[in-house]
Amino acid sequence: MSADVVVLGAGLSGLTAALRLAEGGLRTVLVAQGVGATHLAPPTIDVLGYDPELVESPAQALPAFAAAHADHPYARISPETVAASIGWFREKVPGLGYVGSLDENLLVPTAVGAAKPTAIVPEAMAASDVRAGGRFVFVGLRAFKSFYPAYLAENLCRAKLPSGATVEARGIQLSDPGQEPDVTCLEYARQFERPEFRKAVTAELLPQLQPEEKVGFPSVLGLDNHRAVWQELQDVLQRPVFEVPSLPPSVPGIRLFRALRKAFRNAGGRLVLGPTAVGAETSNGTVDALVVQASANRPTTYAAKSFVLATGGFATGAINLDSFGEVRETVLGLPVAGVPDVEALRFSPGYFEDHPMARAGLAVDEHLRPVDADGNPAFGNVYAVGAVLGGAEPWREHSGNGLAIATGFAAASEILEGAS
Amino acid sequence: MSKLQTEVLVIGGGSTGLGVVRDAAMRGFATALVDRGDLATGTTGRFHGLLHSGGRYVVKDPKAAEECIHENRILRKIAADVIEDTGGYFLTTPIDDPEFADKFVEGCRATDVPCEEVPVAEVLRKEPRVNPGITRAFAVPDGSLDSWKMVWACARSAEAYGARILTYHQVLRLIVEGGAVKGAVVKDHRSGEEVQIDADFVVNASGAWAGQIAEMAGCEVTVFPGKGIMVAMNHRLVNTVVNRCSMPSDGDIIVPARGVAVIGTTDQKVADPDNWEITREEVQKMLSAGENLVPGFRQARALRVWGGVRPLYQEKAEADTRDVTRAHALLNHRTRDGVERFVTITGGKFCTLRLMAEETMDAVCGELGVERPCRTADEPLPDSEEKRYYWLGARVAQREETLHQDQLICECEFVPRRDLEAAMLRRPTTNLDDIRRLLRLGMGPCQGGFCIYRATGILHQLQKISSSVANRSMLDFLQERWKGVRPALYGDQLRQVRLDEWIYQGTLNVGHLPADEAQGSAREEVKT
Repeated sequence: MSADVVVLGAGLSGLTAALRLAEGGLRTVLVAQGVGATHLAPPTIDVLGYDPELVESPAQALPAFAAAHADHPYARISPETVAASIGWFREKVPGLGYVGSLDENLLVPTAVGAAKPTAIVPEAMAASDVRAGGRFVFVGLRAFKSFYPAYLAENLCRAKLPSGATVEARGIQLSDPGQEPDVTCLEYARQFERPEFRKAVTAELLPQLQPEEKVGFPSVLGLDNHRAVWQELQDVLQRPVFEVPSLPPSVPGIRLFRALRKAFRNAGGRLVLGPTAVGAETSNGTVDALVVQASANRPTTYAAKSFVLATGGFATGAINLDSFGEVRETVLGLPVAGVPDVEALRFSPGYFEDHPMARAGLAVDEHLRPVDADGNPAFGNVYAVGAVLGGAEPWREHSGNGLAIATGFAAASEILEGAS
Repeated sequence: MSKLQTEVLVIGGGSTGLGVVRDAAMRGFATALVDRGDLATGTTGRFHGLLHSGGRYVVKDPKAAEECIHENRILRKIAADVIEDTGGYFLTTPIDDPEFADKFVEGCRATDVPCEEVPVAEVLRKEPRVNPGITRAFAVPDGSLDSWKMVWACARSAEAYGARILTYHQVLRLIVEGGAVKGAVVKDHRSGEEVQIDADFVVNASGAWAGQIAEMAGCEVTVFPGKGIMVAMNHRLVNTVVNRCSMPSDGDIIVPARGVAVIGTTDQKVADPDNWEITREEVQKMLSAGENLVPGFRQARALRVWGGVRPLYQEKAEADTRDVTRAHALLNHRTRDGVERFVTITGGKFCTLRLMAEETMDAVCGELGVERPCRTADEPLPDSEEKRYYWLGARVAQREETLHQDQLICECEFVPRRDLEAAMLRRPTTNLDDIRRLLRLGMGPCQGGFCIYRATGILHQLQKISSSVANRSMLDFLQERWKGVRPALYGDQLRQVRLDEWIYQGTLNVGHLPADEAQGSAREEVKT
């Protein structure tokens, strides 16, 4: 098996890199053990939310942030590249209708009713922006156990917004049709694609709505026909309708995965889900091939000119901390930066405190190639993107998907430049 | 100050105290129990859950061994629902002195602990993960126990006989008049009020804290808090209790408990039962010890680490806590210190809770000059009436019955919504950790990653509390779960923690919930 580029990992960073490479005319194979974080987290594109105070404009904050965090992936790519990557991304998934910009963070409610800063969101989340205040109603579904509208609404009413605006919010619990007591988000998404189910929901809900209210549902408003479902709900309820993300799995994240997969395939890319990377063939400081294995099959060799590691961090097992306290990058054995000494404090006693181990990950040069302690690239043709990179705490900074897109885009650009 | 009248006041809501309050109530005494926190939040809820056969002590501490097997037989009759009948092995592993095995057999014979030598091949067939280098093996009637279930069953039984169980009631002082203890003044941490409890007799069953209580009556009692740590692994690495056949030492046992296997333990004297830490060295010691019993132990997923402080009593101070007897001590403060109507029961082990209670209440009856026989050895605890042991699939079987009628809130531990709501209504607490000990909520592999949010939403809805109180409950529970995973955070559990961080800090952004105008209102003032 040979290609121009092998991308390892099918999360947002891997999908971004692979799509851009395929569209750039390179023969690209995307190999992954399985789907990535798209299926677990909402598809809001958080570029920079906290530093550590609330960031109101990522575009304005990024240069200073990069300067102050020399080991951060944002310090390896220019703010222009970040902006270009986000612009490119929006064009690639027109069906999701992303709105927002890098100039201003939106503030969208989470399922606990905290306001979360994010740069761009799918159109079906746009109406949830609370920056200007307003009236909101949150709708719980009978058999959905991962959404508590009254709790959400009460917290959201207490939100202190930078604008000083106030939010009025309340919760409604529906007794929508069905018998099963425990219905998953995916099953609800399928239900919402049935006209008779939508009819029952809107018939129950409409009489309970007040004028001027924006209507928030858990993020289960359809899967393949999401846009039509969402638009119909707005039409019938005659109010803006939006989705609020909750616990995994993430239906809107799955929509994003499907949209990117489709674009990648249309661009001629090849997606292989299932095999695990078990090693590599290397010579003279380059990787010649990745060796992968699917279950009990014989290992397969994927030769390529360039490789993109989009394998994730500790969360996926791409970086492993063993019981003795040793840290390893598991595919190529690349050096991991930012690992505190085994006797030093690695995880703090307080859950919300700073954990020194949290920023451990691969260090990269300005071309996004993993480097050793002296700053030399480990391999001339290996690039690393997304959560495998060290120096960031994306779940605290609210920078995860932004980093994934920006680094995936930038690494692909590097490879395309080298190829041309 | 409000007042309360009782005959026997028991201080301490651990296994000993609950045993005593049940015994007292069954003998017909009006009785009350107080604890500064919830039940089983001291040492009781923090052990490995072994139902001792006594085998561990046959060579070193024969008296303790005799007590263990005696009580083992009784508990199997009265507390079957609390026990999983796993059986146990004592194994001569490659690092054990081979000559100890003969002493072990001899000790078992002398103490009446049933013990049968089993061919090594048979052990390896039954427990294929056990170190194949073992040379001898002995089967004993060890088992595994659920300490919370036991304590709550004792509490329910005692309440059925009229006892009052007062949690979050901390003793501020004992009332001592004319050389006799007449009761106690306690603080109700929920209401903030002080309550005077007048009693004819006071039993100090506060375990590692017994010295602090006894001192309130001017009696000097020295209890060494002996710290022991345990690591829960996320699999049943063994289905039988496995012990090293050697003198008691660190990490010499693995107990299969529900879905996990627990390795224990260490023994280190600490100065203050409320202030100690789990060190990296202790955890490493447990993991290496596990590797000796079950090769590959370190590759398994460690779930959580905890520690407890054993109350080890000896009249004379000794240096090493492991050398202090595991038998219990009943101190009659009239004969010992000239203080009447007051006894301290301390030391001992979870498994001997009933015997300790019996001896205590015999002494109390003697002091009060009444004759009321003990009945606890014959009457089964609630839910154990049918004398059926708990078994590993019990919760799944229950769940299957209600699969189409109820939501599963905690998928790891099979906690259905109606059980959660019933517990929240029965115990009007905003502390999700109290609910955890009742239902095992959030105790599985994801350590609450999914159920903490759901439980918070349900708590808010059901108890009509403000969202700021609900937020506090959620944040406290996240912190409580973190406390246990942090000391053994590696491999797959670190992956899990990272996912939970993405959920709570990323997706839900709980780090930026609205500022709490009534900060600390939901926080219990008491340290548990």
